[in-house]
Amino acid sequence: MSALSVSSLSKTYRTGVLRQSTVRALDGVSLEVEEGAIFGLLGPNGAGKTTLVKILLGLVHPTSGTARLFNQPAGAPAARRRIGFVPENHRFPGFFTAVQTLHAYGRLADVPRATRKERIPLLLDRLDLDGRGDSKVKTFSKGMLQRLGLAQALLNEPDLLFLDEPTGGVDPVGRRAIRDIVVELRDEGKTIFLNSHLLSEVEKVCSQIAILRDGSLVRRGSVEELTAVERVYDLVATPLPDALQSDPDLPLEPAPNGTPTDPALQQYRVRADDRATLNAVLDRLRGADVEIESITPLRQSLEDYFIDVVDTPSSS
Amino acid sequence: MRPLLGLVLITFRELWARKIVLGLFIISSLVLLAVTFALNLDVVEGSLAGIRLFGQEATPEDMATEDGPPLTLDRLVIAVESVVAGVAYWIGILLALFASASLFPDLQSDGRVELLLSKPVGRVQALCGHVLGVWSAVAVLTLYLMGGVWIIMSLKTGVWNPRFLLSLLIVVGMFAVMYAAVTLMGVWTESTALGLIVSYGLIFVSMVLAAADQISPTLGAVGRPVFWGLYHTLPNFTEVTKIVSTLAKGNTVSSWYPFFSSLLFGGAAYGVTGYWFAQRDF
Repeated sequence: MSALSVSSLSKTYRTGVLRQSTVRALDGVSLEVEEGAIFGLLGPNGAGKTTLVKILLGLVHPTSGTARLFNQPAGAPAARRRIGFVPENHRFPGFFTAVQTLHAYGRLADVPRATRKERIPLLLDRLDLDGRGDSKVKTFSKGMLQRLGLAQALLNEPDLLFLDEPTGGVDPVGRRAIRDIVVELRDEGKTIFLNSHLLSEVEKVCSQIAILRDGSLVRRGSVEELTAVERVYDLVATPLPDALQSDPDLPLEPAPNGTPTDPALQQYRVRADDRATLNAVLDRLRGADVEIESITPLRQSLEDYFIDVVDTPSSS
Repeated sequence: MRPLLGLVLITFRELWARKIVLGLFIISSLVLLAVTFALNLDVVEGSLAGIRLFGQEATPEDMATEDGPPLTLDRLVIAVESVVAGVAYWIGILLALFASASLFPDLQSDGRVELLLSKPVGRVQALCGHVLGVWSAVAVLTLYLMGGVWIIMSLKTGVWNPRFLLSLLIVVGMFAVMYAAVTLMGVWTESTALGLIVSYGLIFVSMVLAAADQISPTLGAVGRPVFWGLYHTLPNFTEVTKIVSTLAKGNTVSSWYPFFSSLLFGGAAYGVTGYWFAQRDF
């Protein structure tokens, strides 16, 4: 079952005194996110990521198309009962303490007082804010504010969590802590919708990603699928006989920087235009008594893939 | 209901965290202390025999106006309550508007509005919670000052003037009307300054409209209906002063029209604000 779905979603902003100028922020975007997934939404600045998230949360009205959360129209208060949201650069009233903040926002999320009293100490502990519950929010560091934001989003035990740049401005230790919590939440069965520029973070935690460019969805799939380099494989095997190594017809070469942990093995890179070529290479290796340890599709980093996609003049 | 109450409480606390509201609370406390301890009345068999204010003694005859009768207990109570009501109405509302004008634009700012509207709260409900929070904070402050003065003066003199309490409602009601202009400008422009300029501007215009009977005959065929149109449409803040004063004196109000027409303006402004707030993209 899908936690969220959007269909042919478009948004055009009107600006100017007479609202005569238009900016197309989203252009016919359709996608679904299954329950239990960690979904990463990527795109350069101005691609429409924030607009898409805001439509899903009911902060922005779509020009056309539909957006649904748990099969209810996005924006309906009932749909928001099952979600939590940590906005980028969120601001809590500075005069509240952390506990008062969580009570205040828990009340807005319709969490009963008894439940709040039970959950707030647990959340503060989980997010490493125990001992700071009675400190004023205005004294908190950026990392602490992010964790407090996460705590308020988790207070109603949401099934779907929206995180907008959750590690922005947070130091590496804090980033690691937030990432660990995201993975824990995924293991608890929660769906997570992550909007981030930190591609290394996205690559580590997301099972599915989508890339927006100029308001359109240009790529969609698992990180493994999208970052696999087409028809190039890393092969780990026993060393090749000299005859094979010098054979110009064999599409195989030593892998750059490839050093297997087992010194008896070597790493090679295979470029096969099709499945038949790949199998022919493997047959020749086996015929020469080469023992194959593993063969895996070569992957590029998500960052390289992302830059390829968003820099391509007319990618589809 | 819980989310609505939550927003009322956040807004209430936010307003009370402002130094200017804290200042109003301290000033109100000083007024109450002055009325309690600095104003000493010598009442003999139900009549005022002497007054001591900050240690200065006077007799009712000393306090009489030229050729007028001596000051009575009733007139003293009315005088004190009228001054407090007038100050609460004019200075209190102006300062309360100043203190609260930034709250609604701030609520709509990046980082705040997302937190609020991602909760299971309808937009109109969110606006209602905010407005109720501001109203209740101002009502508590007004009740503290005017209700306190009323109780202290009544206990000291035995003269109970219940109509004075109605003037308290008028003060809160007119604040609510003027705050409607602040919210309307807030949802339109997200500007605190513009909200204040418009609300204070409406108060200034009401001073001109209060002289409608004198000004209208001097206007031409076009100007006269425009002027009366404004009179009936905009809040009659200045004219409502007469209602507050009349109630503080314990008299019957001859015309409630300025107050009710102002309430209509406020209701319409809140209606437009609610519609706009519901339609806006954040």
